[in-house]
Amino acid sequence: MIFAEKVHDAGFEIPKTLEKLREYLQAALEVEHLTIPVYMTGMYTIRPGTNRTAYYAIRSVLLEEMLHMTLAANLLNAVGGKPQVEHPNFVKEYPVKLPLSSEKLPMIGLRHFSEEALRTFLTIETPRSISTGVREGSGWTSIGQFYEAIRQGLVNLVKEKGEHEVFKGTPDLQVGPEDFYNSGGEVFAVKDLESAQTAIRVISEQGEGVHDSIWDSDDQIFGEERQLAHYFRFNEIYTGRCYSPYDSPKRPPSGPLVDVSWNDAYPINGDSKVADYKEHQATSAVYDKAVEFNTVYATLLSCLHQAFNGQSRTMGLAVPTMLELRDRAEQLYRNPHPDPELAEKGCFASATFEITAKDLEQARERVDRLVDAAHLENDEPIDLSGITAESREQFA
Amino acid sequence: MTAAATGPETRRDHYDAVIVGAGWSGSLIAGRLGGQGWRVLLLEAGEGGTESWSGHLDSVSTYRSAVAKVPNSAYRHNTAAPSPDVLDLSPKKGGGYTADGYFVQDGPLPYRTDYLRALGGSGMHWLGAVPRMHADDFATGTTYGYGRDWPLTAKDLEPYYEEAERELGVAGDAAEQRKLGVVSDPDYVYPMHAIPRSHIDEHCRRIDGAEITDPMEDTRTLHVTGIPQARNSTPNPAYDRKKGYRPKGAVGLPNYGERCVGNASCVPICPAQAKSSPLRVQADLPENVTLLTRRVVTRVLRGQDTRVRGVEYRAYNDPASSVSEARSVRADIVVLAGHAIENARLLLFSELAKTSDQVGRNLMDHPTTLAWALAERSVGPYRGPGHTSGWEDFRFHGKRGERAPFRIEISNWGWSWATGAPMSNVTSALGLGGDAGGTVKPDGLLGPDLRRKLGDDIGRQLQLQIAVEQSANPKNRVTIDPSRHRDALGNPRPILTYDLDPHTRDGVYAAYRVSEKIFAALEATPYTDHKPVHGVPQLGHFRHRETDLTYQGAGHGAGTHIMGEHANDSVVDSYQRTHDHPNLYAVGCGSMPSIGTSNPTLTMSALALRSAEQIHRDLAALNQPVVVRSAAGEKEKA
Repeated sequence: MIFAEKVHDAGFEIPKTLEKLREYLQAALEVEHLTIPVYMTGMYTIRPGTNRTAYYAIRSVLLEEMLHMTLAANLLNAVGGKPQVEHPNFVKEYPVKLPLSSEKLPMIGLRHFSEEALRTFLTIETPRSISTGVREGSGWTSIGQFYEAIRQGLVNLVKEKGEHEVFKGTPDLQVGPEDFYNSGGEVFAVKDLESAQTAIRVISEQGEGVHDSIWDSDDQIFGEERQLAHYFRFNEIYTGRCYSPYDSPKRPPSGPLVDVSWNDAYPINGDSKVADYKEHQATSAVYDKAVEFNTVYATLLSCLHQAFNGQSRTMGLAVPTMLELRDRAEQLYRNPHPDPELAEKGCFASATFEITAKDLEQARERVDRLVDAAHLENDEPIDLSGITAESREQFA
Repeated sequence: MTAAATGPETRRDHYDAVIVGAGWSGSLIAGRLGGQGWRVLLLEAGEGGTESWSGHLDSVSTYRSAVAKVPNSAYRHNTAAPSPDVLDLSPKKGGGYTADGYFVQDGPLPYRTDYLRALGGSGMHWLGAVPRMHADDFATGTTYGYGRDWPLTAKDLEPYYEEAERELGVAGDAAEQRKLGVVSDPDYVYPMHAIPRSHIDEHCRRIDGAEITDPMEDTRTLHVTGIPQARNSTPNPAYDRKKGYRPKGAVGLPNYGERCVGNASCVPICPAQAKSSPLRVQADLPENVTLLTRRVVTRVLRGQDTRVRGVEYRAYNDPASSVSEARSVRADIVVLAGHAIENARLLLFSELAKTSDQVGRNLMDHPTTLAWALAERSVGPYRGPGHTSGWEDFRFHGKRGERAPFRIEISNWGWSWATGAPMSNVTSALGLGGDAGGTVKPDGLLGPDLRRKLGDDIGRQLQLQIAVEQSANPKNRVTIDPSRHRDALGNPRPILTYDLDPHTRDGVYAAYRVSEKIFAALEATPYTDHKPVHGVPQLGHFRHRETDLTYQGAGHGAGTHIMGEHANDSVVDSYQRTHDHPNLYAVGCGSMPSIGTSNPTLTMSALALRSAEQIHRDLAALNQPVVVRSAAGEKEKA
């Protein structure tokens, strides 16, 4: 991470300068992303076709984290910042300490679909309404509190300098609904204090619920069906029970049972690294497949970077990249861990989400090549067929 | 007596309108009338469930585990409200066919089409291709001397086409459709940008500009043209005077329903719900519309004078059994919005709209002849929607009077329709099935050889699906015989009498010849084969002009309550209101006097929206205060 730890270490405060605000927003982008490999691992380790409720619950939160990332990038662009995604420090090695949250929280690791993984998910999404609120060194208690600090900082800066001086980003850099819809809500352009506050509201309320409730505000903001906020969606899986409409955040769900089958998962050793796989390269193809997975993940980051930095149509390229990740995950996770000892214990192979500077460099070249091949231009229809035209001979 | 079950309809048994059938037409009309505040009851014969996410996933699984991926393969068998199935037909040795499903068939040729009786109707398994009809298609009787004219023109329908394109959520290239002559507004754009074209489309585009002459000496210049589709793509910010369009999402899972990513199973089900369905309209129905499934309407009830007073139906709980309970409901206006064949069956059994003797007659489809070939190199089939482009060049004008026009769809799904590929390729490459004597073939492939062989063969598959116009012919008809042919609930089963007339056969023949020339121009090796196999003619086989030909069904049933100006030769007027009964509407493709070469759902939806306006006017008129001249008023005047 580039700024998240720095902001964390500096402790709780409302950003007083534009410079500081931009650092906070970049930190937000990083924290939103931090959850993605964690949730992906939880989802990909579910045996295909089983645990459907849990699968779609995790998937829906994953989509919303991607929405939050994009909204955070829109916010950052709106205030004249430059979102950094394609950066070797953007992805930290797991397990990782969750910044901008309580110091006492355990490390966040990549875990297969299990009660332990769900406890991690719940940790990440703990809302203000149920966090203990214990005063600590840094003063952070939840990510919601961090967004509240950003919001107050924005309001103060607008008061002090005027809206024009704060929102002086280039409007062309905004990602809009034509590039991101029906995937955990829709993205909208941030251009003034009002839209900025709405974006912050979407992010915090989808995560932790609106007004001390278990519900998000999709109905109020998007005119869509309201959903449980992330914490409560995960808590349903963890407790194996649905919430009833009148349940409150501090009480356990009281509705009907959810069919969760913890055994229908591929157990993994979440701390495995490609270096560990390399030792068994002679006997297992997992190393190659894990490296390739990371390459594709780097491609996804590169797509997002370009989408957040003026080529919003590159978001379209992220779609087949994510489909490729899904397919590669399905091929990778079903293999036994290459280490015979771990395999003996029932461990399966897993993606490591290790992204090096070299990966990003190659991803950049690949994405540039694909954008050229597809002639992706903002405001033009998206047609990616140019990408596969050259490989047509390889269909066979 | 104890009622076995109660429903909301028994507590309030009078509605402003009762609509029979929750497919596209029924749902659109219910939405419009509901929005205007009318109390509406929408009755669906089939099962629901797909409106929930778990129900949707169940349908996806049902499709994936089905052996034959036919249009109804994602939906379960329903005893109480059976659906026809394209697998119900078998060829007979020495010619002819047997039909042993829901349809009774006694015509010279089989009616090879199905529909779905379930929530959303055939709008669940449809492909989502939504071309408009051309001005030329509305008056073939006057212009070309065949078929029947519409009492409407393309111009009359244009605003409703635009509305339907919004309701269905259409992605398309308006400039291309203007060039084709089916969109006239110079500023119109579709709600979403066109779905990207396939590699096969690009492969075929290489022969753009080639001149092809059909057997009637009608010469056309080929242009690969995209097809508008009711499928989510990138919204066009220029739509609706730059107001833009917000794509409608999935039903049953909030915040979901992505753009088309080419899952290639549109028929019967889009796993990502990028394909539009009537369930989206239903999800937005207001509270004054009551939608009930498992209600099989048995008859429309006649009222005073020529009016109807409601419908009689059977409600069931278990789709696997025939246990049901008879009920009825009254309404000011009754709208039949079942499939063309179901509407005809209901009108016949209710003995209504009889004046013209046209109910059930003029049954149409798009007889579709297949042509298949191997390209000289890989073209990338089995990705994307069923087709993304076609050759539209033989659809309008020219020698249309001599042979039926046709629309050439360029298939993106290889030889799947023609030969059951890709599974049939696997079977034959493995050497399964043995030779004629039953001995296992010795030359089956395995391992890398098998993979290479499949990759090479399947990757080069080209298939053309050529939909031929079939015009209204009163001899092609639906009848009933309640004493002999009933379904499990005791409702009469449709008896179909179907044939292709010489004009249509000439169209199929011309289409076949044109396909040969197209394959030659593409330098592809043709494999099209309509000949009998081991002495057994294929289903849909006929000989015409000394040539073996076959046709498939397109699922475009139409014509059975045909629209016209006069009560003596048509069933409904241009608003789809029966001439005989002022408060009985029969809507859907059954009203169409001709179906041109366009997939009919869009035109059907446009007609439904136009009908909804008229139904609203009718209901408003029915509810006007009666002006009674009072005695006091008389006095004042004096």
